[in-house]
Amino acid sequence: MSAQRVFAVLLYLYPYDYAALFADEMITAFQHGCNEHRSQGRAPFVRFVIAELAGLIIRMPAEWIAKLTTDTSTRGRALPDLRKMRPAGVPYELWFAAAGMNYRQTSLPLEVAQAQERVTFLMNAMVHAINNHDFQAARSYSYEEYRHRDKVELLKKKYRLEQ
Amino acid sequence: MRHVEKQPDVTKAKPLTEPVVLILLSLADEPRHGYALMKDIEALSGGRVRLRTGTLYGALRRLLEEAWIERFQQSDTSREKQAYRLTSVGRKQLQLELDRMKQLTRAASSRLANSCLKTREV
Repeated sequence: MSAQRVFAVLLYLYPYDYAALFADEMITAFQHGCNEHRSQGRAPFVRFVIAELAGLIIRMPAEWIAKLTTDTSTRGRALPDLRKMRPAGVPYELWFAAAGMNYRQTSLPLEVAQAQERVTFLMNAMVHAINNHDFQAARSYSYEEYRHRDKVELLKKKYRLEQ
Repeated sequence: MRHVEKQPDVTKAKPLTEPVVLILLSLADEPRHGYALMKDIEALSGGRVRLRTGTLYGALRRLLEEAWIERFQQSDTSREKQAYRLTSVGRKQLQLELDRMKQLTRAASSRLANSCLKTREV
């Protein structure tokens, strides 16, 4: 089992909202660190990995205590708002019906508004997938979100909405 | 019941921990993402402080909750490279902390100078 895999598995044990927000970034930072220390030799690499994994284990109870003791409104300031996520079993059309009403009233061209809505939906779906530990689906949502973000940018250029 | 979000209190000037001060200092000049922060903090402290990933993101989570920093997506990076920048509240807190440190340094220097004079007199 590689060090990155152990690191990712340890992140499973963190509060789900914390992991949903930071897991990808933490894994990327750890990978950068691994690459840097690997080039310095085996001993620095092993020392780095042990220190990182130990640090992750030590921080875990602190994060759980923070989750259980911090006021929800304070915590919600930084973490994803799960109340805004489409619940399982509710059709996409129904969930975004109200949003559809809203974007038809905005000054944005319908094409742009729809593309932006799609990005929001994919972001929410990705967070939902991460919360359910379905990382494969989360990865595919992330990829899709990217594609749609590019599409939104292109559409904004097309309609000259860069400002 | 109406949901009311607690506002961050800028007037509370409790001493900050060293990692928090270093994170705020690192973000003072430009936005940075996680790994860049770790490297910059190491450089800022002359290699003395090397934040672990867990420690860094624990501190970032607290700072986000306090609204001292904010998270944003740099247009040319992936979602895995969200960047962080200092908010006006964070900048004010950093300034308060630096003022506190200056005051402490002045007091310490003055005490030290006095004790040196006394030693010479003896």
